[in-house]
Amino acid sequence: MSQNPIPSVSQSAAPVISIRSIGKQFNAVRALQNVSFDVQPGELHAVMGENGAGKSTLMKILSGVYSEYDGEIALHGHPVRFQSTRDAEDAGVSIIHQELNLVEQLSVAANIFLGREQKFALGVLNQSAMDRKAADLLRQLESNISPRALVSTLRIGDQQLVEIAKAISLNAEILIMDEPTSALTESEVARLYSVIDQLRKRGVTILYISHKMDEVFRLADRITVLRDGQFVQTVNRVDATPRSIAHLMVGRDVEPARRRDASLNAPVVLETKSLSLAWPNHSRGLRLKDINFQLHRGEILGFAGLMGAGRTELLECLFGASNPPPQGELIVQGQARTFAHPAEAMQAGIAMVTEDRKRLGLFAHMTVRENTTVCALPSCATAGVISRSREQNATASQIKALSIKTNGSEAMITSLSGGNQQKCIIGRCMLTNPSILLLDDPTRGVDIGAKAELYQLMEQLAADGVSIIVTSSELPELLTVRDRILVLCEGVITGEFSREEATEQRIMEAATHLQTSSDA
Amino acid sequence: MSPQAFFAKLWSSVEFKLILAWLAVVIVTVIADPGHTYFNNPGNSAELIIRNSVLLGFFALGAAVIIISGGIDLSSGSVIAMSATVFGSLLIALDPEGFRAGHLATWAVVVAFIGTLLSGAMVGTLHAWLITCVGLPPFIATLATLVGLRSFSRGLTLAMTNNKSQIDFPDLALRDALKDVTTVSIVFLVLAFSIWFLMSWTVIGRHLHAMGGNEQAARLSGIRTDRLKWLAYVIGSVTASMVGIVYFADTGSAKPDILARGYELNAIAASVIGGCSLQGGIGTIPGTILGCLFLRTVIDAVNKIVGSGADVYEGMIVGIVVVMAVTFSQRAGTARAQKFFATPIGWASIPVLSVLTGVSFMLFFRDKPWFGSAHAIVFGSLVGVILIVRGFIELRAKSRVTLQKT
Repeated sequence: MSQNPIPSVSQSAAPVISIRSIGKQFNAVRALQNVSFDVQPGELHAVMGENGAGKSTLMKILSGVYSEYDGEIALHGHPVRFQSTRDAEDAGVSIIHQELNLVEQLSVAANIFLGREQKFALGVLNQSAMDRKAADLLRQLESNISPRALVSTLRIGDQQLVEIAKAISLNAEILIMDEPTSALTESEVARLYSVIDQLRKRGVTILYISHKMDEVFRLADRITVLRDGQFVQTVNRVDATPRSIAHLMVGRDVEPARRRDASLNAPVVLETKSLSLAWPNHSRGLRLKDINFQLHRGEILGFAGLMGAGRTELLECLFGASNPPPQGELIVQGQARTFAHPAEAMQAGIAMVTEDRKRLGLFAHMTVRENTTVCALPSCATAGVISRSREQNATASQIKALSIKTNGSEAMITSLSGGNQQKCIIGRCMLTNPSILLLDDPTRGVDIGAKAELYQLMEQLAADGVSIIVTSSELPELLTVRDRILVLCEGVITGEFSREEATEQRIMEAATHLQTSSDA
Repeated sequence: MSPQAFFAKLWSSVEFKLILAWLAVVIVTVIADPGHTYFNNPGNSAELIIRNSVLLGFFALGAAVIIISGGIDLSSGSVIAMSATVFGSLLIALDPEGFRAGHLATWAVVVAFIGTLLSGAMVGTLHAWLITCVGLPPFIATLATLVGLRSFSRGLTLAMTNNKSQIDFPDLALRDALKDVTTVSIVFLVLAFSIWFLMSWTVIGRHLHAMGGNEQAARLSGIRTDRLKWLAYVIGSVTASMVGIVYFADTGSAKPDILARGYELNAIAASVIGGCSLQGGIGTIPGTILGCLFLRTVIDAVNKIVGSGADVYEGMIVGIVVVMAVTFSQRAGTARAQKFFATPIGWASIPVLSVLTGVSFMLFFRDKPWFGSAHAIVFGSLVGVILIVRGFIELRAKSRVTLQKT
């Protein structure tokens, strides 16, 4: 690795944040060790690193979530030690978490002023003043979200804007954004970029955690790379290339996924005929309408679409997890099937990795072993009695096959980084020997090193004859590995592209097809 | 596993802490009991504690299974009363001659026994239907049967006994056999072992734990959550039915208006003391059994120390033990020093706790020859002073941290 003497650049101004020898230990796991770097006033400083590199831990220390750590943090040269997020906010440091921190049952304005409500005498809320100010803040962000709307009715991108509005109302001088685009559609990302531009014009210093090279290279002034809890290097964006950063993050070169010859002549393993899904109490009436497609043996089929286009709902229909059940025909291995429960779909050789890992995938109170074997438990048991050794062998095989970084099969699942948790869930599916694998946004919140491994894994599985349907919120990702891409827009298939035909622009046109035609 | 790792794991287990706490209570009772009952008459004392723990244990096991699977069952006290009534009613219906004469035919007893357990299974099925098909929260579904089944049992009793409000246990020989502590304990051990095996070593047990921790993820992992819930609630009600028959024999009569009233909360308390989390997913059967033993031993200790009439305070003791047990088990998880009193609500609670302890002291010992109301005032004030000191210590710990910040 070439050691550029880059950290010495632009030291002219006094740093707004100095991070000095920060260390953090969780029981036996050392999450951070001796991390030191400076953040200059007004810069957008990206922090990158693989899963488990310690980015989120460092940001939680900076924002007062963790108050016990080694080392020192200085704001404008004065040492500080935040005891709570409130302390940090008072000092001008706000964080926008990857998993947003809003009270869904309250209105937008109530969330923005939560804990700092405007009131009349006797503690009576001054609702109109809060609504007015919230509307002001949102207008500054060029958004027309109603301050009275319930947060639960907003899309994720809008919820994030509410968090940003809250940070502005706190006069945040330093804003930490932890993977802000991981759940956003392209148009929402574009809007976020313009909000970030505005924030920078106001002189806000931004610490930006991301896995995505393209956005970091578009936004950042400087990039700090962490690996395995340690500081690797801070580089100027203009001196770096995505390849060099990837090298710093992983510690080795990342091989692009190898292509395999796809064959559409292979037998069809799954087919839908005018599949529809009702949407009770909604003006559109149908979540999915008249879906027809075929999946071939060994094929990787991608589904693109904006958030709310029906990607997740479609996979749920195929997996027997939708409520209500879909109408239309579902043909698996040549037989018409209706799945009333995921158990029946699994019997038919279908496995699914769900989108929202924390809510729909993880058993947070259980170990890696228990999480990995839960779907295939009967195969590790005789007459319903579990064999611990068979279970451990099954877990060990998946830890090895997917290179899961864990402190053994008996470690708690929550002690693993997000990407490794995701791999455990994929391992859980693989233990059922599926012939059809459904992956709902599997690389969400997973960094490039682990992503590359997931791509390779998909290719390998497809080469072994497994058919894969994958959705993703990231278009560039869909474009790299898939055999075919179908585009969903408001529950309807609006485009089909072979690998050669697919471009980002064509897919976006199809994904916004209905919206543009109805606007016109 | 290395010896250090083994001891670290042992030390952090709820079961080990409960055994230590239990030993401490026993030792304190040996010393503080004015009659020195444990020392003078260990056999009888042990029998009493074991009987009470085992009776609680039956339906606490059921409560634990339901809590681990992510639910709650408020109805077990009423199911106990219902089962005692159903058992008595079936005997009256099947062998009216024998019932009057006090010598029941064996076949009638066996059929009544099976019928009673079946009625428990029916209640469990009803709960599962209300929860999975009708879509009620478990709290509401079992609240309905908590109220409803007791009333149902009273009506059944009236109908079967020519408008009497209780059914007397008919057969003395059968009664002695059913209330025999050795027999009941053996049945309990077999049941406890079976449920422990089910929960710890079988696919069903793992799935129950998984469902309790994350029901949606369990369903999407292909687990038939509705059927598992049915199983959990049937186990909950059938264990209560079994012990209902024993209570019938033990007390000599089934009085559905008062039998086992409020016991459901004791069962939930014992499970929670034994380490079950009401969030679901977490808990063990050995822990629950130790929770029952610990709870009954503390109640017995207070009985011994306070003397006659102490059964009035059973509820107070259960409340205090639950609060303390859960507080300590929560604290073990957090590294941060907790502030009990150095907050506005904390300061406000100091007079509450002082008055409570002072008045309780008076209630407990008012019959003792040495007692005067000055004692209670001094004791209550002493508690207040100790808590205020503790509050200031917490405050200092807090201000040290703040100093560091500036």
